[in-house]
Amino acid sequence: MAEGVAKRYGTFSALSDVNFTITSGITGLLGANGTGKTTLLGMMLGLHQISGGSLMVLGVDPFTDGSKIRARMGYAPEHHTLPGDVRAADFVHHVAELHGLPPREARTRASDALWLVGLGEERFRPMGTMSTGQRQRVKLAQAIAHDPSLVLLDEPTDGLDPEQRDDMLHLIKTVSESFNISVILSSHLLDEVERICDAAVIIGDGRTLAAGTLDDLRGTGADVVVQVGSEAEAETLAQILSGRGVAHQIDGRTVIIRGDDESVFDTARDACASAAVSVHRLSRRRLSLEDVYLERAS
Amino acid sequence: MTAEIYDRGYRRYDGPRTGVRGAMTTLIKHSIRRSLGLGRSARFKVVPILIILASFVPAVVFVGIAALIPAAIGDEFLPTYAEYYGFIITTLYLFAAFIAPDLLCNDRRSSMLGVYLASPLDRRSYLAAKAISVAIMLGIVTIGPPLFLMIAFVLEGSGPGGFLETLETGAKIIAAGLMMSAVYTAVSFAVSATTDRSGTATAGTLGALVGSTAIANIVVENTDVSDNVLLFSLLELPGELAFRIHGEVGEWRPGAISTSNMWLAVAGILVVSSLWVWSRYGPLLVRR
Repeated sequence: MAEGVAKRYGTFSALSDVNFTITSGITGLLGANGTGKTTLLGMMLGLHQISGGSLMVLGVDPFTDGSKIRARMGYAPEHHTLPGDVRAADFVHHVAELHGLPPREARTRASDALWLVGLGEERFRPMGTMSTGQRQRVKLAQAIAHDPSLVLLDEPTDGLDPEQRDDMLHLIKTVSESFNISVILSSHLLDEVERICDAAVIIGDGRTLAAGTLDDLRGTGADVVVQVGSEAEAETLAQILSGRGVAHQIDGRTVIIRGDDESVFDTARDACASAAVSVHRLSRRRLSLEDVYLERAS
Repeated sequence: MTAEIYDRGYRRYDGPRTGVRGAMTTLIKHSIRRSLGLGRSARFKVVPILIILASFVPAVVFVGIAALIPAAIGDEFLPTYAEYYGFIITTLYLFAAFIAPDLLCNDRRSSMLGVYLASPLDRRSYLAAKAISVAIMLGIVTIGPPLFLMIAFVLEGSGPGGFLETLETGAKIIAAGLMMSAVYTAVSFAVSATTDRSGTATAGTLGALVGSTAIANIVVENTDVSDNVLLFSLLELPGELAFRIHGEVGEWRPGAISTSNMWLAVAGILVVSSLWVWSRYGPLLVRR
């Protein structure tokens, strides 16, 4: 949970007013490159002290009680420059031991984690000989091998082709749903967050632009969208709505009727009937994350 | 009797966790393995193995001399334990110059520092574990060969006489070895904290050792300053203090440079190095 979190480097303000509450499931941390996502992840890990506000992770202040918190967290860094001469199984085993697993347990779980991410057969290969996709999987395996409560993944699909990206997103969803591990997924790609996340925190200009479940962010439950046959019909419908004092917005063949209760459907139906327009679609308004991002950013 | 097939797979773990101490132990073991080239390709094994072997070769030769030549003649060829460092000093410098850069610089250049600091380790425990790893590795060279020499001499009957004398000699060997390891660890650590390039750090460590010695000696020989300026000689100070630990006199005259000043200089090197390393790592932004 973050309340008014700020981070300054000298006179430069990287984050100024970040507020969010993250619950279990997969949460997307969205923002353009350089908006402070990695800095925020670093603060969650207790690597950087916050300059203002308060930040609690798993109920604890990560900076003052970092060791305890980090034992229960997994982290996959963004960059791919892991030691190339180290075998994947040795690397994952080493990280699992670092997080407190006894050596034998760490060895077994490293193997299990690598099998889970699809690298069972490749686990004894040096990481320098692996493709970008395989290295991303190794990073995921080392982040989950010690059975964390929370995993931070920094751009886990960076450098992957579309097919590999699908596989990685599927894996992340499996990790979260099958093993009840909460995931914070840092990304600048809106569509991948939209595909697998339950909630999102959108960062821009060093502050929270929006935060909440995807349903909340996309506005499910508010406004009705009516798509009619032509722009002229949309104009006619808009005139009827204006005459009845109903708030609305027109966009080409689409008319958005404001209202968040069930009666807005009746209003839409009656207006369409009065205007004698052909209705092609009538549904609750549902924004894409891109719409939300652009709307909040502007 | 029926056979059962277990499909364990990934599962939850609710067993014990070893905490910060366990993480440090793991990092120390891992760092020593990397320094020795274990689990790495052959080219990483060559340098450490050659250096360790080279440090033991004189000891093996001296044990052979002690065994084959009568004691009255052989003693003239045999070095004291403090003198032994003179035979392996090059291997010591090389070891110091290669190990710390390999263990520190590469972590910063790769994502490994971020991975370590995302574990229960923090900057202090990470640096402490790395310093212990380097000191243990250097200890193989600073303590191993003289200890081997002493044990061999004891077995041959030409070593320290009696249990107490053997114990005292062993303690001096360990104390001198630890002191040398600490000084060279401090120097190589400080240089390795300054640059991300391990090659540069290796050259810098050798440069610091040789350069400080050359400058200190030139200043003392060509000016009227106190001989205590030689305490800045990072190359000579540990070896000379090893003589004093063993109750011997090396190149430095005790009247000119006191043993207490030498200990102070060693403490100064450790403190300055620690402060410098912390000044580099404390504010370091881990962005990978």
